[in-house]
Amino acid sequence: MLDRIIRDYNEAVFETDKDAAFEVVNNALANGLSAEDVVFKVVIPAVEVMMSDITRDPDANLAQHFMTAQIAAEVTEKMLTKFVHPPEIIGRVVIGTAAGDLHSLGKRIVMGCLKALMVEVVDLGVNVPAEKFVTEAVHYGADVIAISAMMVHTATGENGARKVRALLKEQGLEHQIRIVVGGAPYRFDNELYKTVGADGWAADGIAAGKMIVDLIRAGKTS
Amino acid sequence: MGIAQVHLTVVTPAGEQTFRVPAGTSVRDALDLTELRVRAACGGSGGCGACGVTLIGGAVTPPTTAEYMKLQPAERACGVRLACQMRLQGDALVRIDDPAPPSQWRSIPPEELIPSPGALPELPQHVYGVAVDLGTTHIRLALWNRKTGQRMATRRGPNPQGGFGADVLNRLSAAHGNPARAAELAKLARTAIVQAVRDILKRDVGEVTPMLKEIGEVIIVGNTAMLALLSGHGGAALLDPDHWAGRIDCQPTDRTAFQAQWFMPHATIHLVDSVAGFIGSDLLADLLATRLTDGPAGALLLDVGTNTEIALWDGTRLHVTAVPGGPAFEGVGLRNGMAAETGAIYRVCRPVSADISFETVAGTPARGFCGSGLVDAVAVLLATGQLKPSGRFAVSPGPDGFLLDPANLCTALFSQDIDTFQRAKAATAAAMVALLERAGLGWTDITRLCVCGAFGHRLDVANAQAVGLLPPLNPACIELFADASLAGAEIGLLQPAGAAVFAALGERVAAINLAQVSDYDDRYIDHLRLRPIDINRKV
Repeated sequence: MLDRIIRDYNEAVFETDKDAAFEVVNNALANGLSAEDVVFKVVIPAVEVMMSDITRDPDANLAQHFMTAQIAAEVTEKMLTKFVHPPEIIGRVVIGTAAGDLHSLGKRIVMGCLKALMVEVVDLGVNVPAEKFVTEAVHYGADVIAISAMMVHTATGENGARKVRALLKEQGLEHQIRIVVGGAPYRFDNELYKTVGADGWAADGIAAGKMIVDLIRAGKTS
Repeated sequence: MGIAQVHLTVVTPAGEQTFRVPAGTSVRDALDLTELRVRAACGGSGGCGACGVTLIGGAVTPPTTAEYMKLQPAERACGVRLACQMRLQGDALVRIDDPAPPSQWRSIPPEELIPSPGALPELPQHVYGVAVDLGTTHIRLALWNRKTGQRMATRRGPNPQGGFGADVLNRLSAAHGNPARAAELAKLARTAIVQAVRDILKRDVGEVTPMLKEIGEVIIVGNTAMLALLSGHGGAALLDPDHWAGRIDCQPTDRTAFQAQWFMPHATIHLVDSVAGFIGSDLLADLLATRLTDGPAGALLLDVGTNTEIALWDGTRLHVTAVPGGPAFEGVGLRNGMAAETGAIYRVCRPVSADISFETVAGTPARGFCGSGLVDAVAVLLATGQLKPSGRFAVSPGPDGFLLDPANLCTALFSQDIDTFQRAKAATAAAMVALLERAGLGWTDITRLCVCGAFGHRLDVANAQAVGLLPPLNPACIELFADASLAGAEIGLLQPAGAAVFAALGERVAAINLAQVSDYDDRYIDHLRLRPIDINRKV
């Protein structure tokens, strides 16, 4: 039965058909599969398949990324409410777009993947001041601050990642909290993330999900 | 069906081209819609005799008095005719031995223009005026005699700032913190506008510099970013989201220099203030041209373009917003995208048998897709199952893309083009939903939907509905407008009240910043699939 559920679910995700994906999941629950199994045996493997597909296909369609990440996030959120025991969370991330930047969609993909990968995400929204990134990260005990910037001036400007780095340094938090960045300017210049003081970057939202999980794991073991 | 179409074949030293035009069109008017032009200096009155062409054969009107006066008997004996005087009654073949240099400025097809009625201003002098719609991708303008109420000529051409970014944010970003580049961007747009005016004066009037002195007003509408880049003022404020709730001052600080650059010493150069944030005065112009607020509540206006603007009239207030629709609908950003010019695929037909057929502007060989052709292509491929609702091709089309005509590489569509299209239509649809929600209305409350902007008259409404760009409302309540922003600017130019008409509209406006609408992103993602909008779902 599980094989068929996985096949049907992957098919629905591939077709970006959210209604069909929920139908598969609801039928699975009705047939006795637990919410935990839906997440760990169906949804997370599907996200991983999606990640490897996307690394293989550089021309993959951005609209499809948005839709598949959204399906993963919505299904996971619904399943989490049905967990018998509270889910074990890998880590916590605060995420937002840099000051002056209102492009929220890259952030959306990252959030969708992180939620499906059992990372707790606090969305600080768009146009987030550097100070707020830091105070909220401290407040929520976040492992990672994720900053999305889609324009050159918000990616490289004084009020974006650079300032977050300066504040972390000032407050002695550099070894507790990592900074990751994403957005078009970092794709054009693969070394730019270092220039602005980040610990990591990713070319797209889905790769960012994996990179953040790796950073959290590395932080916990070090 | 409308007026019968005829074919005009033109032989030049560069080769042979065939155009499809309405019967009754003069050869000159037919060519002014293309990049191929005859020499001209009088505006098509037959007064200058510069537009001689050789008629090789075909059904045309007989020579006019002007032709007897301007052409030598020996010339006439060889078949020489004046292109402005000779009208096509059927298919015809002409030769042009010495065409005018190619120009990027074309006349706007007369059927696209909206009549500009009403009282005229009292003007003792400097009676000429120019109305300009300064778009991100295209500039449109019209020269008027404001005293007689005569539209003398129109032009449409590309905005030369495109090299600094197809979309408004990249272009603003290019100018930000770089005064030299900001000055260069301003100069590009200013030069383009005056070149278009000079093109009209040279070809349609016959004298340039003296006429520039007779221009009393230039009125310019545009989205906020274009106004800021033209004036060189307001761009920094526009890049800062803290300023997006209010009106951004984009007025030039160098008005006299502006007049001097254009050699228009008597012209009041009037940039119509935008509404708020990225919501520009081109939207106000659309509202004037469509008279949206004259009708009942539930009227929606969509100006599709690189910066898409939307207005919803609820009977008392105008809810407005702007969304980066993306330049795809203007044919920019697609591998084979182009403006709706000669050779653009503007309509794709559902296959009766196995083959997909399409039509191009002027019936010439396909050179690419314009916005309406893209909408049609996506809808047709979706209907045939060659494209899936996810935006994937059923069978991967390979490196040459999906060819509508296997023999023509310019008819290829690529996965990225479909993606660009999906994102543009989802942003448009999600923004309309956000406005409806703000006004407390649903799709079924909409009694009138005016579609202005990039598609012009060519949009196939049923196809736009099938892919989820337009809501599946009764087609009778959907109206298509070409060049509505220009028409609104013309109203501002000609009304005795002048630009105050814009200010009056502006007072009814409530602007919405979509970045502050919390579930806009969810709605956007929901609208990415290629499927009709669900109008019965509560918004």
